[in-house]
Amino acid sequence: MAGAAKTEWVLLAYRLPREPSTPRISVWRKLRRLGAVQVLGGLVALPRDARTLEQLGWIADEVIAAGGDPYLFEGRPGSLTQENELVERMRSEVATAYRKLVAEAETLPSDTDPEEARRGLARLRRELARIRRRDFFPPPERERAIAVLADLAAAITETPRASS
Amino acid sequence: MRWVTREGCHVDRAACAWLIRRFIDPEAVFSFVADPTEVPADATPFDMRGVELSHVGGRCTFEVMLDRFGLVDPALAAIAEIVHEADLYDERFDAPEAAGLDVLIRGLSMVRPDPDLLEITAVIFDGLYEYRRRPLLEGRQP
Repeated sequence: MAGAAKTEWVLLAYRLPREPSTPRISVWRKLRRLGAVQVLGGLVALPRDARTLEQLGWIADEVIAAGGDPYLFEGRPGSLTQENELVERMRSEVATAYRKLVAEAETLPSDTDPEEARRGLARLRRELARIRRRDFFPPPERERAIAVLADLAAAITETPRASS
Repeated sequence: MRWVTREGCHVDRAACAWLIRRFIDPEAVFSFVADPTEVPADATPFDMRGVELSHVGGRCTFEVMLDRFGLVDPALAAIAEIVHEADLYDERFDAPEAAGLDVLIRGLSMVRPDPDLLEITAVIFDGLYEYRRRPLLEGRQP
């Protein structure tokens, strides 16, 4: 595939001291929650928008506070092929998360106690919201996950609430 | 006093502006800049990288301001949890209102410029504050 990249990106290159490990883990968790793709060791990328720019800026500050060096860049990959590679990696990560969610939804047995089923649904919905927040390039699995949870909700709410 | 923040306001900056005008400086005048280097010398910057009133150690600017100005008020603390989640979504607090507030303010920012956004969201935060405060005054749970 040839042509120019289509997306504006924001990139964070950073280096953190080896010890202590707490800030390293904190930064890594935040990047993961944002859905950032690891381009190379110490270089992560996100599609550029007001929110990702801002959030990577706060993480850059956290890197400084932990005694590290962050560099923020904005730009485009040199080719569409390279961009697609990043996009595919991001898409496949969320696709796996959606599939896992669907598998979990399908293991909620239909004869579960209604209150327990409601709690299970609430948990799955929170997980769905988490995945959707980092889903910049939606895979087909997203629609499937949304549909499975909607069906589950319909099945559960048709059951009258247990009187306590 | 003049207060300055980044343009393109979202929940944290909107909440901070409300907090400033209602609890810190009723005469506050707000302006918006694209870059920290544009902050005038006589203005206090907030929610910008590298300034005192900004994110610190995983806390959003609204939380930092409550601390910095010694605002101890359970209703404000409850709003801080909502703002934190709407801004950072790190699940540190159980604040289901956050998702709704995030969407409302994100939508408003698409149809209104920053000064209008602050006027409109001030009313929303007035309401949130009253909603959280009244049960405390009346000695019951919200």
